[in-house]
Amino acid sequence: MTPSVLVVGEVGAGHLALATAESIGVARSLAGPDGVVGIVGGAGASSAAPEFGRYGVGRALRIDDPRIDGALPAAHAGYIAAAAKAVGSDLILLGGTTFGRDLSGRVAVAVKGAAVNGATELTWSEDALQVRRPVFGGRATETLRLRGRPSVVSLRPHAFPPSAGPPVACSVETAPAATVPPALLSPKRTGVEPTIQGAGPALADASIVVSGGRGVRSQENFRLVEELAASLGAGVGASRAVTDAGWRPASFQVGQTGRSVSPQLYIAVGISGAIQHLVGMMSSRVIVAINNDPSATIFRVADYGIVGDLFAILPPLTAEILRVRGA
Amino acid sequence: MPDFSLSPEHESLRDMARKFARTEMVPHAAECDRTARFPEEIYRKAHALGLMNLNVPAELGGSGLSLFEQCLIVEELAYACGGMTTSIIANCLALEPILLAATPEQKQRFLPSFCEEYHLASFCLTEPGGGSDAGAVRTRARREGDEYVLDGEKCFITNAPHASLYTVFATTDPEKRHRGIVAFVVPRSAKGLTPGKDEEKMGHRASSTSTVRFEGVRVPAADRLGAEGEGFALAMRTLDQTRTPIGALATGIAQAALDHAARYALKRETFGKPIAEHQAIQIKLANMIQAIQAARLLTWQAAWTIDRGQKGTLESSIAKCFASDAALHVADEAIQTFGGYGYMKEYPVEKLLRDAKLTQIYEGANEIQRTVIARELLRAYS
Amino acid sequence: MEIVVCLKPVPDAETRLRPAADGTRLDPEGVKFVLAGYDESAVEQALLLKEANPGSKVHAISFGLPQRTEEVLRAAIALGCDTATSAEATPGNDADAIAVAEGLRAALAGIPHDLVLLGKQAGDDEEGLVPGALGELLGLPHFGFVVDLRWDATAQRLRFGRVTEGGQEAWESPVPCVIGLQQAWNDPRTAKLPAILKSRKAPIAKVKPPAPSPDRPRCELERFALPPPRTGARLIEYRTPEEAAEKLVRILKEEAKVFP
Repeated sequence: MTPSVLVVGEVGAGHLALATAESIGVARSLAGPDGVVGIVGGAGASSAAPEFGRYGVGRALRIDDPRIDGALPAAHAGYIAAAAKAVGSDLILLGGTTFGRDLSGRVAVAVKGAAVNGATELTWSEDALQVRRPVFGGRATETLRLRGRPSVVSLRPHAFPPSAGPPVACSVETAPAATVPPALLSPKRTGVEPTIQGAGPALADASIVVSGGRGVRSQENFRLVEELAASLGAGVGASRAVTDAGWRPASFQVGQTGRSVSPQLYIAVGISGAIQHLVGMMSSRVIVAINNDPSATIFRVADYGIVGDLFAILPPLTAEILRVRGA
Repeated sequence: MPDFSLSPEHESLRDMARKFARTEMVPHAAECDRTARFPEEIYRKAHALGLMNLNVPAELGGSGLSLFEQCLIVEELAYACGGMTTSIIANCLALEPILLAATPEQKQRFLPSFCEEYHLASFCLTEPGGGSDAGAVRTRARREGDEYVLDGEKCFITNAPHASLYTVFATTDPEKRHRGIVAFVVPRSAKGLTPGKDEEKMGHRASSTSTVRFEGVRVPAADRLGAEGEGFALAMRTLDQTRTPIGALATGIAQAALDHAARYALKRETFGKPIAEHQAIQIKLANMIQAIQAARLLTWQAAWTIDRGQKGTLESSIAKCFASDAALHVADEAIQTFGGYGYMKEYPVEKLLRDAKLTQIYEGANEIQRTVIARELLRAYS
Repeated sequence: MEIVVCLKPVPDAETRLRPAADGTRLDPEGVKFVLAGYDESAVEQALLLKEANPGSKVHAISFGLPQRTEEVLRAAIALGCDTATSAEATPGNDADAIAVAEGLRAALAGIPHDLVLLGKQAGDDEEGLVPGALGELLGLPHFGFVVDLRWDATAQRLRFGRVTEGGQEAWESPVPCVIGLQQAWNDPRTAKLPAILKSRKAPIAKVKPPAPSPDRPRCELERFALPPPRTGARLIEYRTPEEAAEKLVRILKEEAKVFP
């Protein structure tokens, strides 16, 4: 028996967000095309609600309450709970955005269900939902069993592909009424400052690090590494050869006498993999190596490798990353 | 001493010292060693967090820790850097004579204001003509009315260029040897007191060491510690207290050496496998940990003995002597484990050997420790 | 202001992660449970607000297994919190976020609170569910991902930033409310040695929240696993650099799941 899934939609620039498309993808794979209902509220919901159809969802609920426009995410919880009850949802899915993650615990209490954030795998069976997620900064995974209905799950961003449709006609109804406690309406958003591009995270805090080595051949060429890093929002590191040559300051050095990092993703560009460097990054969760030399030691510790000329590989790689992220 | 476990209090102290050592000291240890820089900002932080003046009772402004608790902290700090630890605990050495022999009025006068703000102090016993022969003090203290006038020179004095306070051992009559020695507390501002320039040392290079010259330095009799002629006994009682933490300092250095060597041995491959799988390395590592465990437990036993109110001369001499010899040997073996890389300054182990060496020399050279041990142990048979 | 800061005991950062023999959870043998991560920032933020608003008090609460909560609470006292309350969890009941929120609500019952402050997510499971769940249980507004939290005593409003994908939002809220903190104004302070010694003797109030009914909806930990050891890179085959780029990005997104 397949579950009935309620997908909580999020609006970005007047459209359903990519995170919602990913949630729909998961919902459809669990529930089949007819078992998914979407719900969306807040500013832009009227134009965004029919877009559920684009992703293959034929029924969407639109929360019709101007008070929740610009209110804190928690204000949506009552409507989601009422909708889940009316529809008979077994599972409520949210994107792993700040909106979704702020809402999931709230909704779980409102529907008296169990909740999980950051799922990377979901398996539905008769009596329970199994969810897998990374813990300890990705150094381990836990598998959880959620008992009781409905369950509330937010997905890890980009862990699932967006729904590929095919598009269907979507009937949009007004979401069932719900009360919003006055306490949730008194906080006010007084402004938004868009994120400034360019300034990357510090090496120690970065969840992605891109490092360059001797293979970049010159100080000017190191810019290619930095461009790749910027496309990922990553921190920038360097091997000792680079800092010794003065191409970048010593603070960039990853390795024995520099810094140790253990990010989610480490991309080593033009780095051979001498042990002094390896000890500084070997515990990264995923390591990608790009190097001309197929026998370079780095390929022994990396998870994925591209053997090739970094000058040929990096520009299209940076472009592809920007393209995918921009979409 | 049947229970070898640490209480939650002990663990809190040790963890706090470890956190400080790893976050504040480790990042700068190599650079201070390379450039012989005195990292005052780190010492100020240590003071702000209560990691200095560990032996001074809380009501007089210190941290009031037992010797055992001090050892837990000292080992953690020394793990990060032996030199920085030497400067941090030099205050304990310098203030101990005040704790042992000062009058209540003197303690009130010297200690609270010293401990409240960041200050360093120096223990001035060693002279160019007498290190191990501590009774051969030649710095003269001439009584003039209700003042003493000090003339002479001390050498190898830790923190001397930066200290605000000096506890000085001088003699009223060199002919009397140790029976002529008297102790004083002298402030930096005393006219005629001149610290020398920082010596260039083999290790402990983040610590500062120099001569201190006394030329007609006037010291009020009210700043004398105990009576004339009691100074030598005071110095010995001081060292009875401060010897044990040196065991902890040496243990910390040794532990760092083992940690580096063991981690390296698991990563470095030769002849197709990690060197940790070669017997030659395994035997080294086994010997290293034996030495470290023994050093630590001997230090703990000495601290526990002294905390119970016993003199503990035998135990503390054994601890200091064994732990410092162990540290030197362990650091040596750590370099050998690293092979050629161990010889390079780029790697952290050669510093550990240079730092370990001093622990065999200062605070009572190990030759003297052995004569003390022999004397003490023979008591049981006579 | 009466500020409550809710803290979770989490394994120390240096812990070697090992599954327990039955494979269901982290092996707790030899693991130190400490105050860490965003919770440290939450304590720092609470203390900064206390210092900026004289007369304020900071109450530390921790829900979990008793020996673990005690360590975390003593660390909080050593940093400067005024009171400490341990809400006891029973083994097996300390992982479910809703159970945690219910436990915290029970512990909060006797403590005045204008602001309930938590780290935005715990250092171990990194879920970040508790602030929202607790807000709903208490009937209070809650905000996650908060930075730059200030109290405007004249307007009687909290003012803060909320970091989202689109940028940083600026908010104001009356109290009481629940906040999941991302960053305090300053780096967390270090407890001084005398305070650490004193904290060991500090009184810790103990409450025992009612055990949840066995058939309530809940999350159970079924498996805790480490990733398999590395066996050497999988080399990406390609004909053109563009193809290599495309393949790598797809792998990072779909297989490795590390794409931002």
